[in-house]
Formats: sequence, C-alpha cells, structure tokens
Amino acid sequence: MKTILKNVTIIDAKSAYNGKKTSILIEEGIIKKIGEKIPTADATVIDVPGSFISPGWCDMRANFCEPGFEHKEDLTSGIKAAAAGGFTAVAITPETKPVLQSKAQIEFIKSKSKPALVEIMPYGAATHELDGLNLAEMYDMKNSGAVAFSNGNTTIANAGVMLKALLYVKNFDSFIVAHADDKTISNNGKMNEGITSVMLGMKSIPAIAEELIIARDIELLSYTNSRIHFSHISTRGAVGLIKKAKARGLQVTCDVAIANLVFDESNLVEFDTNFKVNPPLRTRDDIDALIEGINTGIIDAIVSDHRPQDDECKVVEFDNAANGMSTIQVFYNLLLKIGEAIKPEKLIEVISNQPRAILGLAPLVIQENETANFTVYNPEIVWQYGPATNRSRAKNSPLYATALKGKIVAVGNKGMVAYT
Amino acid sequence: MSQLSVKHLLGIKYITNEDIDLIFTTADNFKQVINRKIKKVPSLRDITIANLFFENSTRTKLSFELAEKRLSADTVNFASSSSSVSKGETLIDTVNNILSMKVDMVVMRHPMPGAGIFLSRHIDANIINAGDGTHEHPTQALLDAYSIREKYGDVKGKRIVIVGDILHSRVALSNVFCLQKLGAEVMVCGPTTLIPKYYHTLGVKVEHNLKKALEWCDVANMLRIQLERQDIKFFPSLREYSLMFGLDLKTLHSLSKEITILHPGPINRGVEITSEVADSNQSIILQQVENGVAIRMAVLYLLASQPGPTS
Repeated sequence: MKTILKNVTIIDAKSAYNGKKTSILIEEGIIKKIGEKIPTADATVIDVPGSFISPGWCDMRANFCEPGFEHKEDLTSGIKAAAAGGFTAVAITPETKPVLQSKAQIEFIKSKSKPALVEIMPYGAATHELDGLNLAEMYDMKNSGAVAFSNGNTTIANAGVMLKALLYVKNFDSFIVAHADDKTISNNGKMNEGITSVMLGMKSIPAIAEELIIARDIELLSYTNSRIHFSHISTRGAVGLIKKAKARGLQVTCDVAIANLVFDESNLVEFDTNFKVNPPLRTRDDIDALIEGINTGIIDAIVSDHRPQDDECKVVEFDNAANGMSTIQVFYNLLLKIGEAIKPEKLIEVISNQPRAILGLAPLVIQENETANFTVYNPEIVWQYGPATNRSRAKNSPLYATALKGKIVAVGNKGMVAYT
Repeated sequence: MSQLSVKHLLGIKYITNEDIDLIFTTADNFKQVINRKIKKVPSLRDITIANLFFENSTRTKLSFELAEKRLSADTVNFASSSSSVSKGETLIDTVNNILSMKVDMVVMRHPMPGAGIFLSRHIDANIINAGDGTHEHPTQALLDAYSIREKYGDVKGKRIVIVGDILHSRVALSNVFCLQKLGAEVMVCGPTTLIPKYYHTLGVKVEHNLKKALEWCDVANMLRIQLERQDIKFFPSLREYSLMFGLDLKTLHSLSKEITILHPGPINRGVEITSEVADSNQSIILQQVENGVAIRMAVLYLLASQPGPTS
C-alpha cells in the first residue's frame, strides 16, 4: 500500500528536509521517497494545503482507565482519541482497578493494544495497590513490557520506601516516574494557593507541597545514583530545583502537563470543574517559568495528562468534583494556545524526540528509508469538537462543544496510516 | 434604579455598589415596617421560598424565615447534614425535586464553596446564598455593613478590623468585599495559622497583634471560632486562642478611642469576647440581629421583583 503526503512542510530539526515543503511517499511503513516528483498512480494521496509533518508524537502520561473504569475510557477509545490527537506512542498510568501491578495485567495491556497503530506503553505500579509502602513486582512487569514505574497521582510519601524504589529499579535499568505532592501540606486542597483561592474561599495547594517532594526526591536520587522522571511539574520553584539537579549531573528528567501550560488559576473563578486538575492550575508566573524551562531544556516533555471523567464525577459541586481534564484528542489545539513562545522545532522535541528517548523508543527522523512514524497536522482546519467528533468517552474538557482551529490530518506507525 | 443587576445573590463580589445601595435603602423601609405594630406586608404573597440548609444553622435560618414571613411568602424548609446528602441524592436532584413543587426562590446554605453558583447553572429559581462553605455569606456582610452605616452614618473611610479565623470564614471574605466596595479600610487580624498566605492580595491589611489592630480601627468584627470547620489543629487550645485574640473589657478600655464591636453570632462567650464586652454599650451585636431581618427582607423583595425565568 502506498501513501503520498503531498505538499507538507517538514518540521524535524534532525532532518535534512527541515522546513522544506515537499511530498513524501510511504510504502510498507517506510519513508520511501521525499521530493516533488512522486508518481501518484495506485497510491492514496493526502493533500491538505498548509499541513506540517513531524516525527510521531509521544505522550508520556495518559490515563486510559481500563480495566475498572471503562465507563470513563477504555483502551479502544483511548487509542482512537490518541491517534486523533496526533500521538503514535502513549505511556499510560497504572491507576486502574485493579492497579497495573502484575505481569498478567501488563501483558493484558500489551496484547490488547498490540494491533493498534498507537504504541501503548504501560507504567507498572511502583508500589502494591499504589499504597506507597510495599514495592510491587517491578522486575516481572518490566520483563512483560512495563516501560517504567509510577505511583500514579499519589506521591510515595514515605521517604524510606521511595529510596528503596529508586534503588530497586537500578537492578534492571528502569526508572521511577514521580508525582510530587506533600499531602501533609496540600491536605484537602482543591486548587492552587494564591489570589484566586483567597477570592473563592477555597482550600488550597501551596506550590511548596510540590517543591518539598521534588527537593526530597532529588536528594534521594543523589544518594541512590538512580534515575527519576518528575511527571507533571507545575511551579516555578520545581523548574528551579530540577535545573539545579541537572547541573549536578543527576539522572533526572521531567515533563509538564499541557493544561498547566495553557491555563492558570484564574480559569477557576467560575467554579468550572473542567479546570479542576492535579497538579492544580498555577499562576501566570509559573507558566512563564515552565515555558522558559522548556526553551532552556530543563523540561524534557509536554504530556497530555489525559484524565477522563464522567458527568457523575464532574457535574457536581466543585469540592466533590474529581481531578482531571480530557486532553489527548485536543492536545494540538491546546498546544496552539501557547503561541509563539516555543519554536516549532522545540515543540517537536518535547512532544516527540525527547519523550521517546526517555521511554527508550527508537529515534525517528523524517528522512528517506526511515520508519514511517509521523504526525501530519494543520493549524488552519476548523472543526467542531463535540459528540460527532469526540473519540474519547469523556467530555471533561473546557474546549468541548466549541469550534476549534487546528487539526491532526494523519498519523502513521507500524505500517499503518490513519486519517483523522 | 429600582432593580438589582443580578438574578441571584450568590456573593458580594458578584453585585455592584448600586445593588448594595438599593438593598440598604430598601432595608431602611423594611426596618420601619418591622418596628410597627403590624409587622407584616403582603409584598411576597404567592411567592414560595424553599429554605435549603445542608449545614447546621440556627440564627441565619431563623432570620430568613422571619424575613419571609414578614413579607407574606409561603415557605418550605429542608434541613440535612451534608453527610447524609453526599451518601444519596445529589444536590441537583434534591433541589430539582423541591423545584418540581413550584418553588420560586431558594435560600441555600451548603458546606461547599461555589455550591450556589453550581446550582444557579442548573435551576431556574432565584437563589440566595446563605453561606457556601468558606466562600461567601453575602447577607451577613450586608447586615454588618448596614449596621456600621447605621451607627456612623456612612461606611466610607471607616477602619474595620475583622478578628479571628479568617481562613475558614465566609463572613470575613464577604465582609472584605462589601466593606471595600463601600469605601472602608479593612484589616484582618488573627493567628498566623488562620490567615491565608495571600490574603493581602485582596488589598486588606494583615495584623497578628490584637491590641495594635484595635488601636487602628473604628469597628472590630469579632468572628466566632469555628472548630467544626477545622479538620486539623490550627492552634493548641481555645484557652491559648483566647489569651492572644480574646477581647475583654480591660483591653477595650485601654484603647485610645471608643470602638464599636460586632459579632456575627453565635458568640462563644469567653473565647472571642467576654460577656462584659458582648453586653457593653460599645457592642451592636443585637442591632445586627434586627438589621439582619430587614436586610434579608430587602434582598428577598428585590430578587422577587426581578424579571423571572418565565417572564
């Protein structure tokens, strides 16, 4: 099967064709030819003016809810939403029911997702039942396909257990994906501590609740000489701490959730539960620091942190609402909200090259005879995000039921091409 | 102008200065009414009001009920602890059930911030927030400001300190918004553990020394310590709180000028203020209670005369 992507502009700093508008022939999962004159006979032609192509996007944090919460999302719907959102690889968190904490469960995810265009990489639970106390069978899970180990949206509060988890993953060259939140400080907080929480009389989550755990984990990392990835950091202080840790030569990487990059606490003044996320939306100043962190290489990846919720969890009083935003399908639209602050090549680094490298996936480049793992996106297409187009089961997004500008045109991986 | 700019009274921050003026002048009229021999007017005849109290209340509920009865409204009451509701019916379902019985207005107290706003998106009736968690308690703020206005003629330029548990207080927050709108200078005073870190961003002064705060102010609003809203310990004991932030007659008399004492009630006598202070002639606590009925009558009356959802 032949596919020709006509008149696409290549965005890939590693490619000799970077910035060039050209056509690409894809055959049997390989980029066969790049150039103007490709015969179109017996090929499927995709020609959407103004489109760009980059190496396939990679999401380091999404929740697909299966097994246990299939009413919110399942692997099938999650994968469809991911492909429609431009992703060819997605790492999913173990917060399912039961928790992804055994070989059997990791194998279930791997085998069920195997036929899909999108590569699904489960994180195994770092501790049994995510209890933060008893290490899970990480070696067994690693051998079955667990890409790394995470305690989901729960911090391993016990420093001794965190230290052992960091030591333990060294046995098999893996790493811990950490969520930083000191519950003794954030307590029952519902949003960022700041002017908005004061205005709304809301219990709040101070930035220091996140930063204390990051500071602690960096010291544990230094002591153990292990490897850590801080997932969805959200504060200026966190960026500063990780910058220093990187300068010390520690094996530390980090990502930021797209919601924390484009929305701030002021979005909560109307008590809209779609903006209730964890970590909470912070301030404009934090966003500036996060963007600077991306541009200076402190932050390695932007993640969707896709967290589907149903109406029963969201159409309730703010205090009772669950955390999370459905983001994976509209990730590109959220990305476009950043505007010019991050250059296109840099964006591709943090949504493709770097997350792939952290997760141990093969490097991609839009070049002849390379694997056809790509994302084609177009900033001009206008579409309606709603019941007819939503691929996720969830609609807990502030963008839902609105017209959006910018759309994924196609994704390719594993010898397949999907038009979205 | 004789109409409010809003359909609901969800918080002071959602209303204008003109709204506050209108509520005050309307309350002036109703205060005369409730001091007459015949205290009842037919203004809200045929209007049905549901008082939904998802959190315990004695005096706010009583004050609203009295205001409704003085206006000849029909009332139904629903009281439930938050825990029993969270186990079963959702807030929308509870309220929709009650609205199916053709209720025109809802007075709601709820333990969660924003509950009134949530409700206003889902039902048609006029809603009055009678306290939503630690967010706002607009009628309390209105009656406090009204009482200050009554005492001094104007709120503008007055210095008012709010003393106590600022962190858990919807009364403090609504008071700040209301007093600032009316041109007063506002200070909050309380233990460092009970004042949010960013409270100063509201444009209020923050003081942790009671004596200094009292020396600064014209009016002190002494909040009740609400132990029931504290899920962890913010100070070691009531005794220690009282030692630092309790107001007794000795302190009151040591001040260089005569200040006025407010308290939203119910008073923990001997904790925030001693009985002597509460009962002294500097205290206008009982006037607040009386003004509470007039203010609530004004709010009910003005909201009921708003163009309704059906019109």
